[in-house]
Amino acid sequence: MRHWTEGFDDGDADEQLVRPYTITSGRTAPERADLTLITLVTTLPEVSTQAALAVRRMQPEHRTILGLCRESKAVVEVAAKLGLPVSLTKILIGDLVDSGYLWARSPQPLTRATGPSDMTILQAVRDGLRKL
Amino acid sequence: MDFASSEHADRTAGLAHTAPLAVKILIAGGFGVGKTTLVGAVSEVAPLHTEEYLTRASIGVDDLDGVNGKFTTTVALDFGRITISGDLVVYLFGTPGQERFWFMWNDLVNGAMGAVVLVDTRRLEVSFASIDFFESRGIPFVVGVNCFHGVRDRTAEEIRAALALDPQVPLVLCDARDRGDGRDVLLALVDHLMAGRSATSV
Repeated sequence: MRHWTEGFDDGDADEQLVRPYTITSGRTAPERADLTLITLVTTLPEVSTQAALAVRRMQPEHRTILGLCRESKAVVEVAAKLGLPVSLTKILIGDLVDSGYLWARSPQPLTRATGPSDMTILQAVRDGLRKL
Repeated sequence: MDFASSEHADRTAGLAHTAPLAVKILIAGGFGVGKTTLVGAVSEVAPLHTEEYLTRASIGVDDLDGVNGKFTTTVALDFGRITISGDLVVYLFGTPGQERFWFMWNDLVNGAMGAVVLVDTRRLEVSFASIDFFESRGIPFVVGVNCFHGVRDRTAEEIRAALALDPQVPLVLCDARDRGDGRDVLLALVDHLMAGRSATSV
């Protein structure tokens, strides 16, 4: 028996079956302004069985993010692994941060700032690079 | 080293010890100068690829009456990472070749520690815009001269003059495919940043 979609050819194999913004329920702009490309996000342990049930009812992409971020990942890494544009990934990550499943750590703003912590970081980067 | 003690220590104090701190270095330069090659040479993972949608009201140069004043475009980005320690991760972003997108993509440029502008001696002009961009934004940068296949047909001084480079800006000859060379370019940037900081604090 033929499935009704057989023989359909939209001529673009790369086209995603689901339109990107369907995943975000039509939202196109992240509500959280504090998520940057290198904000590190980490999955928080589920606090209750209720929370675990809620995770199961989420979009598959939300669950994928929680799986990916058991070890801290930058927002841009999550986007790359999901194969979704950064802005869309930020919307999904924002949902999870808002509902308490993810923890976000903002990057250190280093540009033109001065201070001892800056120097400490630069020294650490230099020492680390020398070992490459 | 304990970065959690910095002023950016988070409200989630317990977790601040488990999540590292991230910093960002931009790898810029014109099309085909070897940005992704350099990222790949020093990154601990194969360069990752991602995309971003940029939307912006078109600037008042268009004269298309009745056309929606917004345009959306997709730009691609390759990036890599170097884990310095459990506390610190460096992300390397190969910037999109067309500099006009950088003005629209604040998240790419904001908070960058500094930048490497790669140049190809056979086509110096493709990297002019990158240099202009970082100069105008006041983002510290170094120039990496990618000597493809070891061809060093110009001296550092000649290249410096051709780029009209500020004498303060370091220029390093390298082979972008070589891990050691890539590391040296990044080290030149970090040294440049440290020199800039100790100079301003005196």
